[in-house]
Amino acid sequence: MGLIDETFRVALSDLYYFKRNIIILTLTSLVTPLLYMLAFGFGVGSSVEEMDGVSYIAFIIPGVVAINTMTSSFSTISHKLMVQKRFYESFDEMLLCPVSKSALILGKCILGVLKGSICGVILLALGYLMTSDLIISPQLFGMMILSCLIFSLLGVAAGVVLPDLAWTDLFNSFVILPMTFLCGTMFSLSSVPQIVADIIWVLPLTHTSACIRAIALGRDFPWISFVVLMIYGTFFFILSWLALNRNK
Amino acid sequence: MEYIIEAEGIVLRYGDFVAVDGVDVKVKEGEIFGLLGPNGAGKTTSVKVLTTMMRPTAGRIVINSVDTQNDTVKARSMIGVVQQHYAMDMDISVRENIISRAVLHKIPYKTAKVRMMELCEAIGLTPYLDKKGNELSGGWKKKTAIVCALMHDPKILFLDEPTTGLDTQSRHMLWDIVRIFNKRGATIFLTTHYMDEAEALCDRISIINKGKIIDTGTPQELCQSIGKFTVEYDSEDGKRKYSFFHNRESAKQFFDTVSERNPIMRGTHLEDVFLEKTGRLDITSLEGVLDGTD
Ligand SMILES: Nc1ncnc2c1ncn2[C@@H]1O[C@H](COP(=O)(O)OP(=O)(O)O)[C@@H](O)[C@H]1O
Ligand SMILES: [Mg+2]
Repeated sequence: MGLIDETFRVALSDLYYFKRNIIILTLTSLVTPLLYMLAFGFGVGSSVEEMDGVSYIAFIIPGVVAINTMTSSFSTISHKLMVQKRFYESFDEMLLCPVSKSALILGKCILGVLKGSICGVILLALGYLMTSDLIISPQLFGMMILSCLIFSLLGVAAGVVLPDLAWTDLFNSFVILPMTFLCGTMFSLSSVPQIVADIIWVLPLTHTSACIRAIALGRDFPWISFVVLMIYGTFFFILSWLALNRNK
Repeated sequence: MEYIIEAEGIVLRYGDFVAVDGVDVKVKEGEIFGLLGPNGAGKTTSVKVLTTMMRPTAGRIVINSVDTQNDTVKARSMIGVVQQHYAMDMDISVRENIISRAVLHKIPYKTAKVRMMELCEAIGLTPYLDKKGNELSGGWKKKTAIVCALMHDPKILFLDEPTTGLDTQSRHMLWDIVRIFNKRGATIFLTTHYMDEAEALCDRISIINKGKIIDTGTPQELCQSIGKFTVEYDSEDGKRKYSFFHNRESAKQFFDTVSERNPIMRGTHLEDVFLEKTGRLDITSLEGVLDGTD
């Protein structure tokens, strides 16, 4: 209980920030996934009959939701943390407060989880209007929130490990953006060469995408992917913890 | 107990570079203590180490009888820190900044609100409570940061270059705030590169240069250490020269010998002490470059 209490204490300033900017933050986060839906769903979708046995639009909506859990959580968190660390100096002062490192890490994730989840709900609602093949269930929301948490943890890790904003931008361009397109979000991995597929398989978004799609399309749940995601989450947590250990 | 901060042999290295090189600092309870030094002297680094934001490479820090490395949490509960730059979130309001900080310190919401209002009243911040950080000018940002730092009622307030970059009005306002909180019982540790600030505000001063403490004392003691009286005059090569004397008579005597060279006799300032002890920048080499003779 102590941990949850402290987590929300840490999150409070971010929640104030979110409350002030909820419309702008949500709309900005929605632009990219909506463009993917339009460009791929209707543009590409009109010439692709079906993929993996469902209509293309039903195939990519879970993919786009997976992308959203990553982009809207990761970039918000890593950027905000870096600004608080390098410019506002408020992060250093947070380190001096009597809260545990775990609470700090989780507390800094809350903004990402909240924002990613709200955007995810909007995207799913739109998807539901576009195709009847999607199964909207509590498990789907649960999975979505979990993957927001995992990518928020990655955001915290990037925020505390990387030295400045130039590095987060670099990380965005060379890791996050490629994942967006490659991780089986917009096309089925069964159509790429084995060696490439093996590399892609290692990336976390591949598994987020697989889990969310399986639930949304009512298929067998890929437990291996789920385990891989948990390992990633734990890894990001430990990484942040070790980085914080240097000064807390 | 006499000293509330006792730091011995503090060393901090960034890689190979020694930013703080064996610093000893002793601060008495209830005083305003100044760490005075030029840019890059190691003031910020010293503050970060003293406030447990950074672990020293070597050395020991005791705050109010608590070793900061043994019981960091307890030590932290006794200090408040205002860092050199903004030290607050710019995208939320003053009130939200203060309350968030209080909540992090586990102060009950009601108590926090009362304390916030009381502190803000004391320094005239109340009308600005609902302004966002980026709508405030420098002085008000600093005020906010100070209230944030005082929410958990620390015994010691650290201020790292609190007036750097502020206009004259805000500077004097900030000095008054420091005095107000000092009167209310807080020990103040501040850093500055302004001599007049150290002189006007601090009970005792340590001069730091290149990571080392050069001298410590009250402003008067420091001035006396080189001589209470200063005679400045033009030297033959056109530069201004300074001589220091312990009594008025010898100063006057010297003054008469240089009466042809625009002499001024005056009391010694901290600035003189500082320059004497850290060394004036020599412009001879520069002149050489300008003449093209070097
Ligand atoms: N993170 C860092 N890495 C390497 N060198 C640093 C770092 N921070 C400060 N320094 C160096 O340490 C010295 C002291 O810095 P600082 O404590 O900020 O000085 P001051 O606050 O007195 O201006 C400077 O020479 C500065 O360049
Ligand atoms: Mg500094």
